[in-house]
Amino acid sequence: MYAAVKTAALLGAQGHPLVVEVHVGVGIPGFTVVGLPDESCRESRDRVRAALLSSELPWPNRRITVNLAGAGERKGGAAADLAIAVALLVAQDVLSQESTEAHAFLAELGLDGSLRTVAGAAPMVSAVAMHDVVVSPGNHAEALIASPRQLRAVDTLAHLVRCLRGDDAWPSVIQVEEQEDVYVVADLAEVSGQAWARHALEVSATGMHHLLLVGPPGAGKSMLARRLPGILPALTHEDALASAMVHSAAGVESAGALRTSPPFRSPHHSASMVAMVGGGSSYMRPGEVSLASGGVLFLDEMGEFAPTVLDALRQPLEEGVIRLSRARHSLTMPAKFLLVGASNPCPCGDIRPGMCRCTDSDHRRYQRRFSGPLIDRFDLCVHVDRPSADALVHAGGGESTALVAARVLAARKRAVDRQGCPNALLLHDQLDIFAAITTQARALLHAELEKGILTGRGYHRIRRVARTLADLANDTDVDRDHVDIALRMRSALVRPHEAGSYR
Amino acid sequence: MTSDTPEWAYAAALASLPLQTHRRLRLLITRGSPSDVWDKVLHHKIVAPSLEPHVLQAWSTASSCLPRQMHERCLTIETQVVSLHDAAYPNVLRADPDAPAVLFVRGNLEALEQRRVAIIGTRKATQAGRHFAASLGQQLSTLGVAVVSGLARGIDVHAHRGVERASNDGATGKAIAVVASGLDVVYPREHVQLWNWVASHGALISESPPGTSPEAFRFPLRNRILAGISEVVVVVESTEAGGSMITVREAEKRGVTVLAVPGSPTLHTSQGTNALLRDGCAPVTHVDDVLVALGLDTSRQHGFVDQRVTPMGLCADVLSQLVGEPRTIDWLAICLGESVFAVAVALGRLEQSGWVTQTSGWWEALVAYSQS
Repeated sequence: MYAAVKTAALLGAQGHPLVVEVHVGVGIPGFTVVGLPDESCRESRDRVRAALLSSELPWPNRRITVNLAGAGERKGGAAADLAIAVALLVAQDVLSQESTEAHAFLAELGLDGSLRTVAGAAPMVSAVAMHDVVVSPGNHAEALIASPRQLRAVDTLAHLVRCLRGDDAWPSVIQVEEQEDVYVVADLAEVSGQAWARHALEVSATGMHHLLLVGPPGAGKSMLARRLPGILPALTHEDALASAMVHSAAGVESAGALRTSPPFRSPHHSASMVAMVGGGSSYMRPGEVSLASGGVLFLDEMGEFAPTVLDALRQPLEEGVIRLSRARHSLTMPAKFLLVGASNPCPCGDIRPGMCRCTDSDHRRYQRRFSGPLIDRFDLCVHVDRPSADALVHAGGGESTALVAARVLAARKRAVDRQGCPNALLLHDQLDIFAAITTQARALLHAELEKGILTGRGYHRIRRVARTLADLANDTDVDRDHVDIALRMRSALVRPHEAGSYR
Repeated sequence: MTSDTPEWAYAAALASLPLQTHRRLRLLITRGSPSDVWDKVLHHKIVAPSLEPHVLQAWSTASSCLPRQMHERCLTIETQVVSLHDAAYPNVLRADPDAPAVLFVRGNLEALEQRRVAIIGTRKATQAGRHFAASLGQQLSTLGVAVVSGLARGIDVHAHRGVERASNDGATGKAIAVVASGLDVVYPREHVQLWNWVASHGALISESPPGTSPEAFRFPLRNRILAGISEVVVVVESTEAGGSMITVREAEKRGVTVLAVPGSPTLHTSQGTNALLRDGCAPVTHVDDVLVALGLDTSRQHGFVDQRVTPMGLCADVLSQLVGEPRTIDWLAICLGESVFAVAVALGRLEQSGWVTQTSGWWEALVAYSQS
């Protein structure tokens, strides 16, 4: 009258193995689920009952207790449905305990007895990968990412019972081929003019430097940002796996295969704190920062985001992971993203000297939306203007994504061969070893520091960007020109200093 | 009423009566000595058809301690009060049809004995405009000419910054500021340092009694005094509807010469000045243009030499493209047929030697127009 069957539960972007225990005994007929299930989990009793009955399988009219062990942790989601149904069948001797021993079951049940897909199949399967895992056909491709010992995709409960009894053969598993580019990224060649911003994009992709694009509406900020994933180097297998796990856990359609093209996330500016960093009460859903991990997090109209949401980005920007703590659990999810912000320079959008129609207080109010510490984390801050007629006519289409991507890849390789990481991740004390600058360049930076235009944090950022510029030019040394360009690439949000430079 | 309260304190008290306007104040002051008028006001004995009953009513309820309070207050903030009765009242304003009856002054009114040029313009000025105002202020001060302005943001404050700089090098031209608020109400706040500098090195003038807040209607009134004490008014940058145009109209009423600095026709900030030029104002592209308007000899060597390193090569080309109009790096690169990196490096060199500056990606040349 007792049975135990394996399944898994999801917490954040990680799966945890879980055992479903069922006890069928004497007493007033009833069905209780214990082990801190949430609402969707508790409702599984109705789904399981209907599924068993419509599959013409027996339903015990006795006292049924289902325990999701360990009893101390809260469980959510409907992925345990199938395991509960199978355990009930074992408890009634419809199936033998031995036949289910080697399996783990991960699927939601439909009232008609069909198996449904669940969110988070990949991380959950990876938690029980040492077993044969049974999932619904819809989760098949996603589950393969976690490469379990044996994957079984079955469409109905009745079919599953036949297979477990040995009355029917397991359906054959279709191997999904690894695809290079699942997402089509628009080509950079479609952007005409914008030479300066295109270079900034290239530098950003090479060194993983966070990029802020400032310009009036219609200048092409989003257009540029959306083409950034195309020139980023492909994800390593490790990163691709982490990204796939997060996408699966969030229930974001992951097209099946492991994808090596960097993700691109652009949440709307109404995004809540939880949507951005992840969380939630029962099981913690990965947020946009984790979904963008390995790729680009694009914040269009950055000034419109809630200040608390923007400030929450600071910790993941520093550490590359997001640490969430709740009363019951704390967990860590990947958040190694390239931040690209886009913003109007001022409320009227036209900051051109002598043209801006905003008052000083308008300006101050607008500036206050960007906290200094966040702005300081952007290595690159470039102005994007609507291309002039000249630019449209003379510059034509620029270089294609493929051309730029090749340069980026070569320069990135130089950096990684030298120091093992992209330039933006160089530590302060590594700068003098890997990004030594000439005396002239140092003097230039010193002058900027003294004028108070550059902060200490900014100083290190300029040096990292200068290193990337040197890598792109295939120069071993960082000289004054690189520093000069790096300074110009960080200047669009620096407030005009009073005309103190005149003699 | 105590006998040790001086006459000027009564004038100050009259200026701070409720519902006071510059016309009503002028009417009161011309009726006799301030203390006599004050007595009449308190006892409702003023008879003038132009004064409405509710105004007289409000005045008669004013506190009798007001003169003593104003006395203490003005002494505390080191403010001198001069009325039309005083010998110290500036002669240049005495003849003015719309002259303020009472002036509050910090600093020294002797600054008004110098030749006086007003440098005015918009608050939302370009960096190039600010630079021009500052260098004009500096050069005029060096030549011993007093610079009049309103201590507003933008052009005004930069004109006086130029004077301050010149003064540090021993120049004699004073700074004269005419402000709209009371002399102890610094507006805008960020100019407090320059505000005090003008008070100690020139004259800070207002017709509003201490404690008056900078209400919008006071600025056009301030502009009439500004125009009234100037011999020449130079408009550096202004939109067509800017407050500077009010000063220009006041100056024209008084026969004061108005000069304007030409600017690019595509900029809002040049529309006012270009309109003035179209209407026949003489242009200013150099300090000599102002000296000619003052009737001063310009043949003497004033020796203003630009001490900045003269740009060469690409830097010179970039600088010449920037004169008169703000540009972006992209535009410069296309125009000069150079790579954006080369242009960025050139701009870096120019910025370090003080030739150019930028606002959110827009670059401007900091050169006087005659050097272009």
